[in-house]
Amino acid sequence: HESKRQSDGDAIKVFVRVRPLTQGTGLMTDGDHSLCLTVSSPHTVRLHCKPEPRTFTYDHVADMDTSQEEVFSSVAKNIVESCMNGYNGTIFAYGQTGSGKTFTMLGPSELDNFSDELRGVIPRSFEYLFFLINREVERSGGMKSFLCKCSFIEIYNEQIYDLLDSVSTSLFLREDIKRGVFVEGAVEKYAASAAEAYQVLSMGWRNRRVASTSMNRESSRSHAVFTMTLESKETGQEVVNIRTSQLNLVDLAGSERQRDTHAEGSRLKEASSINRSLMCLGQVIMALMDVSNGKNRHICYRDSKLTFLLRDSLGGNAKTYIIANVHPGSKCFGETLSTLQFAQRAKLIKNKAMVNEDTQGNVR
Amino acid sequence: MAANQSSEWRTVCEKFRLAQELSDVESRKDPENNPFRSKYKARDLLKEIHCSLKKIQIEEEGEADNEADSESRQTVDKEPENECGKSCSGDSPAGLREARLAVVQYYLGVNHIETEELSAGEQHLMTCMKLIDKCTTTRENVSLFIQARNQLGILWAGRDEVEKAQGFLEIAESMYLLYMREDGQPPLDLQDFFVVEGEELSQQEKIRRFEMAYTHTLYYLAQVYKNLQQYERAGQYCHSTLQRQLEYKQFVPLEWAINAATLSQYYITKTRYMEARHCLAAASVIATLAGEIPSEAAAKESDAECEKREELLQKRAEIARCWIKYCLNLMQDAKKLLEDNIGELDLDRQEELKRARRNEEEEKEKGRKSAILFGSSDTFDSICSLEERVSSMLPLDFEEARSIFLVGQSYVAQAKEYFAIDGHVTDHIEILQDHSALFKVLAFFEQDLERRCKMHKRRVDMLEPICKDLNAQYYLLICRQLQFELAETYYEMMDLKLSVADKQDQPDVHTIKKFNHLCSSSMKYYQMFLDSIRSPEGKFPEKLEDDLLRPALVARFRVARLQSKLISSNPATQMENLSHSLESYNFVVQYCEENPEAKTAVETELELSIEMVSLLPLKINRIRSNIASCN
Repeated sequence: HESKRQSDGDAIKVFVRVRPLTQGTGLMTDGDHSLCLTVSSPHTVRLHCKPEPRTFTYDHVADMDTSQEEVFSSVAKNIVESCMNGYNGTIFAYGQTGSGKTFTMLGPSELDNFSDELRGVIPRSFEYLFFLINREVERSGGMKSFLCKCSFIEIYNEQIYDLLDSVSTSLFLREDIKRGVFVEGAVEKYAASAAEAYQVLSMGWRNRRVASTSMNRESSRSHAVFTMTLESKETGQEVVNIRTSQLNLVDLAGSERQRDTHAEGSRLKEASSINRSLMCLGQVIMALMDVSNGKNRHICYRDSKLTFLLRDSLGGNAKTYIIANVHPGSKCFGETLSTLQFAQRAKLIKNKAMVNEDTQGNVR
Repeated sequence: MAANQSSEWRTVCEKFRLAQELSDVESRKDPENNPFRSKYKARDLLKEIHCSLKKIQIEEEGEADNEADSESRQTVDKEPENECGKSCSGDSPAGLREARLAVVQYYLGVNHIETEELSAGEQHLMTCMKLIDKCTTTRENVSLFIQARNQLGILWAGRDEVEKAQGFLEIAESMYLLYMREDGQPPLDLQDFFVVEGEELSQQEKIRRFEMAYTHTLYYLAQVYKNLQQYERAGQYCHSTLQRQLEYKQFVPLEWAINAATLSQYYITKTRYMEARHCLAAASVIATLAGEIPSEAAAKESDAECEKREELLQKRAEIARCWIKYCLNLMQDAKKLLEDNIGELDLDRQEELKRARRNEEEEKEKGRKSAILFGSSDTFDSICSLEERVSSMLPLDFEEARSIFLVGQSYVAQAKEYFAIDGHVTDHIEILQDHSALFKVLAFFEQDLERRCKMHKRRVDMLEPICKDLNAQYYLLICRQLQFELAETYYEMMDLKLSVADKQDQPDVHTIKKFNHLCSSSMKYYQMFLDSIRSPEGKFPEKLEDDLLRPALVARFRVARLQSKLISSNPATQMENLSHSLESYNFVVQYCEENPEAKTAVETELELSIEMVSLLPLKINRIRSNIASCN
């Protein structure tokens, strides 16, 4: 286990989960039981490529038989614990539509029973968080208190909507010197127990579904970010010590929708329709600059809203886990390959900004 | 054209109009579960048109055979005069018939591609090409030639066959150039083939559409060259695309301005400051065409105004930030050219460069004129006058550097207005860091050490308050950058004070106090930086991450040096300071022993540290024995 401890410094960890084959998901033809991958060890998955298979290595690979409890223990437990200690944490779910993202994060659809064995990472995180809170409060003999606020937003087409306020128009992202990046005007609801937090979540989740019909938005095309802000207050001798931390639970848009933004290869951006703009000309120019000689330049095109919002989670000092969900059916080979590749790239994501040291005239 | 008037022809034209409408307008409203409904309807219409055309063609050919038997023979006689392999002239009745069929094939091709039937689309486009390839290039078919090739370029690039795409697009490009050289009259648009008399496009509209198709060719080529990693060429084609958008007024002002500003940053990385300045001046001028910024009051009234205000302010601030980088890089490049091996201004080099510039000036002026310039007749003058406000030549002395600095500083103020700390923390700090960098490079040109020190003090004043307030939980990396920069700035000030003091005989108490203050401030920030690397339990990592390796060891090394520089008259304090210094030097040496790969990152520092580790104990022992003897 020595090698595992070493990698603790990594900002991002990746957990791959393979869902079981099920009929009627549209992702496999009836009777087609051929698989495109095998879980070869708790850290590796083998993809049956031609001419020879490829092996991918991650922090953890869960096979079809892995229980929800096991996923929670390896992914979220640690992150919830460090949230209690004042650190920010983020859990992403990534994968093709139908690969089991929602099942992993929430559990079976229309879940109301809170004790269901199949409940997902999010309800379990709530339970664990409030379990820890109650234990801390008891231990401290009332010297320590906690306040928990929840917000739930959706990012669709680079616009931000508040899922806790279905009538709100799109919102702006802003930054504060003390509290970092936040969505201006997003509703925050207090939660005093796991059940209350879950209520907030399911209320927002319903709005997400509603939105998908009334405005022709498809849920899998949007990213949903559920944020819990935890504030702890400790009263010692005459000093009040306040600490805050955030837990972000992110359900990313189906990976097949993101092809346009990720690894787009050599496809040309088209402009033949008269009204369509040549905006991406700038993207071309940007690509030219990536091979530049370390000059100090300014890029006018901003990050996507999602990466901006979660900037702190992508490198820096937050604890981040990505759960990459894959469907093992051979029909999904292409999507599975791209999910596995994304998951591997994710390990390399880091804020590259570094100390700007002037090496001239160091030593005189 | 006799056919133009027949009712059959009218039906064909009407079908064509309907197909266009279905494809361009109706299709946007198609339901999710049947996304190509209108496109399929359009496709059916196009197929019907194709049949009608074939029928008309057979009739017309029949007539032609009867009536003008001799004429057709003449055409055959003429054939050798044509381009090789072209069997008819593009503007002959036969050529027109082929072109008309080819237009339908073109639209069928595009339709299939849009409905994700790429192979079928390709076949139609190839048929289209075959039909017009029989004819010479003329006003009638040149537009079709170019547009079909644009589409094939996109198609093949989508299949990862970039070279094939490049082939089609480059032919389209040369075809345009040839046509403009040899003919240049407004060519027929694709739609012109299917309109009843009196409804043709205006000359102006024909030109607009033709030029737009060519702009797209260049735009696709820019992307193709990027994919082929021919960055220089890709840059050129981006430039030409922008240039043409402006010339033919086919642009959205803000978008254009941001693209041009981005291009300026590319030129900066290539140290082509004249081009960079031109892009920026054009970006600033064109951005103003996007309209007045709605007032705050208006923004409160309506969401649309609010969004417009936000967008305009943001984009202008972005352009200002590109200007800042321009000024900064220009000065920094000059510094690199002018500094000697310890980072000071090399006066001989300065003289030499000034002389060289006087000789070059005339040459430069010529080169400048031949460079591609932006601007339409309306904007050209304003762009040029904006350019004149700042030099594009490397500054060689303080006065020149100062004038660039001032321009940069004015853009800092402008950028900060939008990117206020409240709401835009990261951007705001980046601008402050640039401002600090501007002062730093200006200080290089300043000969007076006291004044130079004051410039560094300005940097401290702008960065210190932010560094104090910034929450490291969210902005760890920025915090580290600020801590390191502040430490370095104090360090530089300490060095300057040391140089000043060296010139005096005996530093007074005040100077010593000041000096010690600079030393401890620098140490304080290096220490904060080093502490930020510790684990939550306060442990320093046994192995530093790659991107922290050098900064951390340099910080440790500087702390060691600063400790030994502190001035004290008390031997006990002296001894304590030196022991601390030794400890830090030792850290660097030991770390590199345990992690040999670190040695290359801090070569000079390591060498000096090893030396100090062997020297300092002697010095400490000397002080110790002094203390002992005094007691």
